[in-house]
Amino acid sequence: MIEAHGISVAISGKRIVSHVDFAARPGEVSAIVGPNGSGKTTLLKALTGELAYTGTVTLNGRDLSAMKPVEAATLRAVLPQATTLSFPFTVHEIVRLGLIGGRSGVLPGEDARLPERALARVDLDGFAGRFYQELSGGEQQRVQLARVLCQVWAPVLEGRPRYLFLDEPVSSLDVKHQLIIMNIARDFARRGGGVVAILHDLNLTAMYADRIFVLSRGQLAAAGSPTDVLTDELIEKVFDCRLKVGALPAANMPFVLPQSVA
Amino acid sequence: MAEQSIAGAGRVMAADGDRSARARLVILLLCLALVLCVFLSLTSGASDASAVRVIRDWFTGAMPADAALAARDQLIVYDIRMPRVLLGVLIGAALAACGAVMQGLFRNPLADPGLIGVSAGSSLGAVAIIVLGTTWLAPVTLALGTLALPLAAFFGGLAVTLLLYAIATRQGRTSVATMLLAGIAISALAMALTGILIFMADDRQLRDLTFWQLGSLAGATWPKIGTVGPVIVLALSAMPFLSRGLNALALGEATAGHLGIPVQRLKYTAIVAVSAAVGASVAVSGGIGFIGIVVPHVLRLAIGPDNRYLLPASALLGASLLLLADAVARTIVAPAELPIGIVTAVAGAPFFLWILLRKRGVIDL
Repeated sequence: MIEAHGISVAISGKRIVSHVDFAARPGEVSAIVGPNGSGKTTLLKALTGELAYTGTVTLNGRDLSAMKPVEAATLRAVLPQATTLSFPFTVHEIVRLGLIGGRSGVLPGEDARLPERALARVDLDGFAGRFYQELSGGEQQRVQLARVLCQVWAPVLEGRPRYLFLDEPVSSLDVKHQLIIMNIARDFARRGGGVVAILHDLNLTAMYADRIFVLSRGQLAAAGSPTDVLTDELIEKVFDCRLKVGALPAANMPFVLPQSVA
Repeated sequence: MAEQSIAGAGRVMAADGDRSARARLVILLLCLALVLCVFLSLTSGASDASAVRVIRDWFTGAMPADAALAARDQLIVYDIRMPRVLLGVLIGAALAACGAVMQGLFRNPLADPGLIGVSAGSSLGAVAIIVLGTTWLAPVTLALGTLALPLAAFFGGLAVTLLLYAIATRQGRTSVATMLLAGIAISALAMALTGILIFMADDRQLRDLTFWQLGSLAGATWPKIGTVGPVIVLALSAMPFLSRGLNALALGEATAGHLGIPVQRLKYTAIVAVSAAVGASVAVSGGIGFIGIVVPHVLRLAIGPDNRYLLPASALLGASLLLLADAVARTIVAPAELPIGIVTAVAGAPFFLWILLRKRGVIDL
């Protein structure tokens, strides 16, 4: 369980996030949504200890600020929005960096083959020998996800759940790979781990998230299940767009969309 | 279970994109190259002294036929060439490894101790002793004797590094960009102060200064090695512990932290190790350029940027190249000798430009 109480973050004297309460349960995908500049990434950086914050953050009941880097690295992995490199690493060498500090949780002899398996998971079979800098943005993002997966390969280690923090994991991906990545996240949660993801696509969010946290101007505007949170009123209030929230009809019920008129 | 049996079958084939095996082979070859360079340096020089005979006599305990000649050869080999070779190895290794560490720390293949002002600070300290050693700083030189110059260079380098660190660190986090820019400013200031001192110097001091500033291993003596050797060895032996952290740092400071690296401690250790090794090197040999940039750069092309292999390989290649450069410096205008800094610059600068042109577009500087 990740629990945060009264999180506030100020950058250069300006308060970006104020008094946010947050909780992500193992077994669930928790999504953070909100318009640009609402403080999503800042909140995530506070939850991962990257930015100084006031309030408390606990991982599995332990205070984050009292943890050594290597202890935190064993409990959670973090995927940043974009990662640039200044040295010519191969894809294999980048993914292998995920094994540096934490513990993957596989048998000791299998660590060496983990980068290959992680690359296969993100649909990058055969990319191990390529140079990272020569890949497209979407491929680079998936390489970084493979690295992050190596760090916490087993969602549960010694009976304790572990967590994935993903900052816009599908932002530069095509639709096929968006679904692959979101399925990896859901699978990680199904097997007992916890996932915290910042998402922009409200449809993907509704599809995959068990809980949604909506941020608006640095404050929590709503939190709950997709059906509770994604309402016409909230979308208009937070995103300043008058949109209709629809719902799929029950399974096997035929329906006809008027837009399909020829 | 199927996966376990594949792993259990012990597939030894290296994974695609894994350059570890090649890196280990290169390191082995560099070890052999260094041995060869040491041998070459011990046997070559302005005098015809035979290092082979001296070493053979020493091992076999044989009494030489011509005692006077043997004594002269022994003097040349033991007291002139050996300390010089050892100093070349220490300084070449230190400069190249420090370059690699700085580049990892700043995440920039052009970062170099010369760039962030460590060398300039060391130079200022040393020049101050050369010019003011007989006047304002006379008590210092009197108290420290021959140690005054190395210590001044060391503290000059350390002072710059600590100043940089204080400027670039806010709320416990060091901004690499600020440090790089502040380094350029401090470098300029240190060079200006050095310029003022040079302006004040007399003719004899000017000669000393010029030679020292261009860099030379000519002043190598056993006592000097006793002073700077332990500092360099200590700094170099700290570096293997930095390699994993520097690899993680390639992904950025935040990500390195998420991977479990204590980033602040890593940066602090790297900075202290580099300023100690560079200060010590500059103190005894002056400014020797290009080793710190060219060596790691070439090796990254050959074995990749993994610091676990890059750091030892840089130290080995740096030592070999400096010995070769010194051999050239000693023999090309014998019995006089060129400052070694000229040799490394003449060979290093065009080579570096050639790499840049050839790899333009592949390496994003």
